Amino acid sequence: MIPVSENPSESETGIPAVDATGLPDHVTEAEIRESAAREHREKLRSFLTNWQGLTGLILVILFFASAIFAPWLAPYDPNALDVPSRLSGPNLEHLAGTDQLGRDTLSRILYGGRVALYIAAIGVSVSLVIGLILGMIAGFGPRWLDSLLLLLFDTVRSFPTIVLALATVALTGPSLSVVLAIVIITSIPQYARVARTATLTLRNTDFILAERSLGASMTRTLLHHVMPNVVGPLLILAAMDVPVVVTVEAGLSFLGLGVTPPTASWGTILNEGYLVIRDAPWMVIAGGIPLILTTLGFTFLGEALRDIFDPRMGKGR
Amino acid sequence: MKQTGTTRRGFLGTTAALGALALAPAWSTAAFAQAGSTLRLRIDGDNNVLDPGFMTGGTEIEAQKQCLPFLAQYARDGETFTWEPTYFVTRLEQRDATHIDFELTEGLTWSNGYGPVMASDVKYSYERMKDSDWSGYFDALERVDVTGDRTGTIVLSRPFAPFIMITLCHGPGAVLSEKAMADAGGKFTTSFPAVCGPYTYEATPGQRAVFSANPDWTGPQPAFDRVECNVITEVKAAELAFEAGELDCTEVGADTLARYTKDMPEGTGIAVAGELQYMWMGMNTEHPKLQDIRVRQAIQHAVDVDTILQGAYSGTTAKSHGIICPGLTGQRDSAGYSYDPARARELLAEAGVSGLEVTLRTLNNQERMLSAQIIQANLAAVGITVNVLPLDSGPFWEMGQESKGDTWKDLELWIMRFGTTPDPYEATQWFTSDQVGVWNWERWTDPEFDRLYEEGINETDMQKRHDIYVRMQEIMENTGAYVWINHEPEAFVHSTSVGVNAAPSGELNYRRFTQG
Repeated sequence: MIPVSENPSESETGIPAVDATGLPDHVTEAEIRESAAREHREKLRSFLTNWQGLTGLILVILFFASAIFAPWLAPYDPNALDVPSRLSGPNLEHLAGTDQLGRDTLSRILYGGRVALYIAAIGVSVSLVIGLILGMIAGFGPRWLDSLLLLLFDTVRSFPTIVLALATVALTGPSLSVVLAIVIITSIPQYARVARTATLTLRNTDFILAERSLGASMTRTLLHHVMPNVVGPLLILAAMDVPVVVTVEAGLSFLGLGVTPPTASWGTILNEGYLVIRDAPWMVIAGGIPLILTTLGFTFLGEALRDIFDPRMGKGR
Repeated sequence: MKQTGTTRRGFLGTTAALGALALAPAWSTAAFAQAGSTLRLRIDGDNNVLDPGFMTGGTEIEAQKQCLPFLAQYARDGETFTWEPTYFVTRLEQRDATHIDFELTEGLTWSNGYGPVMASDVKYSYERMKDSDWSGYFDALERVDVTGDRTGTIVLSRPFAPFIMITLCHGPGAVLSEKAMADAGGKFTTSFPAVCGPYTYEATPGQRAVFSANPDWTGPQPAFDRVECNVITEVKAAELAFEAGELDCTEVGADTLARYTKDMPEGTGIAVAGELQYMWMGMNTEHPKLQDIRVRQAIQHAVDVDTILQGAYSGTTAKSHGIICPGLTGQRDSAGYSYDPARARELLAEAGVSGLEVTLRTLNNQERMLSAQIIQANLAAVGITVNVLPLDSGPFWEMGQESKGDTWKDLELWIMRFGTTPDPYEATQWFTSDQVGVWNWERWTDPEFDRLYEEGINETDMQKRHDIYVRMQEIMENTGAYVWINHEPEAFVHSTSVGVNAAPSGELNYRRFTQG
C-alpha cells in the first residue's frame, strides 16, 4: 500500500498540485508565468545587489576570458627563451618580469590559466556527471547496490588526494592526463554522496511515487524527475570545487608532478619563483595572484548562488 | 535571531587580507648568533650506513672523519690539493712505488673499552675493503704487513701513485677497531662500534646528527665542543636557515652563489671546495633512434652549452670539455665540436632523419630542469622534439642499470653528473667495457679505452698520464654520445667567524673548522 498525501500542494517543491487539465483550479496559466518571472527577477536583483557574488562573477569571467584568449592577449611566446634578460623585474617590456630563462612571466601566467581551466573544466564536469549518475543510482536503486557504491565512495574518499597523486605519478611519470584522472577519481565520491542524499529524500515523495505508479521506467524517473531537483545544489558545489581542483593542479605542478616542461602552469611558476625568491620576489607574487583571485572568485560566486537559490539557507552565513 | 561568530566568508576575507599583508616585504638582516662553542651545519639527509665499506658517501664520510682514525688528510696548497699525514700517525711515507710505511701515534684508544689503536686494526680495515662495495678504491692494494704494535707497511700490487690521495684521504681510508667489529658482527649501520677521534656521534633520524666532545680523546682539541648537523633536505631551505642565522655554514646553489658573489652580506664569506663534478648530457648509442652516429653528432652540435651556463647556473660554473675536472692531470681545454645548429641540421639531413622525438630524463631539481628546458629549446630549433621527463633521485640513479629493471632499454637522452676525487683515473673507471649497463649507460665499448685505462693507473710520468687521459676523453667524445656541460663547484656560505674545511670533493671536515 502506497501512502498518498492529501496535501494540495507538493511539500518539497511548493508547486501547486494540479488537476486533470494540468492547472490548479484557482490559478490561470498567465498567473503562473507571471509568478515565475517575478521570482526570476527577484533572484537576479538579489544577485546583482550582492557585491560578493558580483565580484565573484567578474573574477570568474576574467579567469575564463584570460585563459581562452591567452594566445591573443599574451605579449610573448610563453616558451621563448631570452637568457640575457633573465630575472628582470617588472618593466614596460615585461609587465610581470621574466623568469630564470628570460621567459615573459605574464605570458606564462596567461597560458598557465589555460592548463588550470582545462583541468577544472574537464575534471569538474566529468566527475560531476559521473558522480551524479552514480549517486542517483545509489539513492534510487536496491539497497545492496547502495551499500556497495557507498563503500566504494568512502574507500576512494579515504585516500588523501596528494598522496594518491604522488604514488600514481611515481608509477606512471608526470603528465597532465594523470593529474586529470586523479582529480576526477577523487572528486566523484563527493558529488555522488550529495546526489545520493538528495535522491534518497526525493525517493518517497508523492510525485515520484505517482510517476512510478504510472509505470515510468527508472531511467525516465531519474532523468526527468529526480535529476532536475538534485542538480542545482550540485552545480553550486561544482562552482565551489573549481578552485580546489585548480589548486590541486598547481600543487602537483609545484611538486614537479603535473605538467611537463616547458608548459607553463601556475604551480610551476610558483615553484620557479620560490627557488629564486631572494633574487626575484615578484615571480612568486605574480604566480600567486591568479590563484588567489580564482579561488576568491569561484568561492564568492558559489556562495552567492547558494544563498539565492537554496531557500533553506538563512541570512548571515 | 542574530548569528554571531566567524562566518565562512568573513574568514576567507580576513585570510585574504592577512595574506596580502604578509606579502609586504619584510627583509630580515642576516644575523649570526654564536651559540657558545657549537657549530651548526646542515646535512642533506640521515646517515644510513656509517660503515666505510657499505656507505653511500657524502655526509657519512663527514661523520667517519670525526669519529674514526685516518692515516692521511687533504692539504690545500693554493688552488691545488695535496696530502699530509694526520695527527693519528707519527710517520706516513711512500718508501717506493709499491710500499707505504706508517707508524701510529702512541696513546690512541678506542672508546667502549676496546683498547689502543693497533697496526692490526689498519690491516683489518683495509683488507676487508677489498670485499666491500667500495673495493674499487682498493684494487691496487696487495696486503698490509704488521711490523709492530703501532707500525706497519701498506703493500700495493702495482705502482699506483694516487693511492694516498684518493683512498687514504677519502672515506674508504677510515680505520676501524678489529675487536669492536668482531663484536658487532663484522658490519654496522647507524652507530660506530668504537670511536677514536675528537667527537662521539649520536643521531635522531629525520632531525639531526650531534657530535659531542669525546672524553677519551687525548689529541688536539677541535675549535668547537659540539657540532650539530640539522637534516635539511632542500638546498633553498638551508640557505634561508643560514640567512636567518640558524646555521653557521651551508652549501649553496648556483643562483645564490651568484647573488652572494655580486653583493656579499656583511659577516659572510664563501668557500669553494673544488670543482670535482662533471656534468654531461648522455645518449644511448644502442637505442634505435640514436644508433646513427650522425644523429648523435647533430645533437652535440645543436646544444648551446654557454646558454645553459648562463641560464641555469648564473655563470658560476666552468664549461666542461670532458670528464676530467679543472686542476687535474688530463683536463682538456676545448671540445672537438662546437655549437653550430646549421651543421646539426646538415648532419640530420645526411642521416635522413626528420621529425625525431626523444625523451630527456633528468633529476627533478632547479638547475637540471632549467638545463633540460634550454636543451629542449635548442633541439627544437634543429627539428628534434624533446620530452623532458623529471625524475626523483631513486628512479633516476637506477634507470641505466641493468640490474635495476628494464628502463635502460628505453633510455634515450639524460643529464648526468658524477663527482670524483682529485685524480683523473677515478672518473675514467666508469666508462670501461665492463661498466656497460652498470655506469656506462651510453653503452659503447672501445678496446683502446680499456687499454689506456690500465696504462693510466700504472703510468707515473705526468706528461704521459696527461696524454693518456686526453686521448680517453677524445674516444668518449668521438662516440657522439656526450655533450659536455660543466664542472659545478661545491660552494659553501659561512659566517666569517667560522673557517670552513672541505675536501676537494665537497665533504666537510668538522674537526678542522676554525673559530674567530
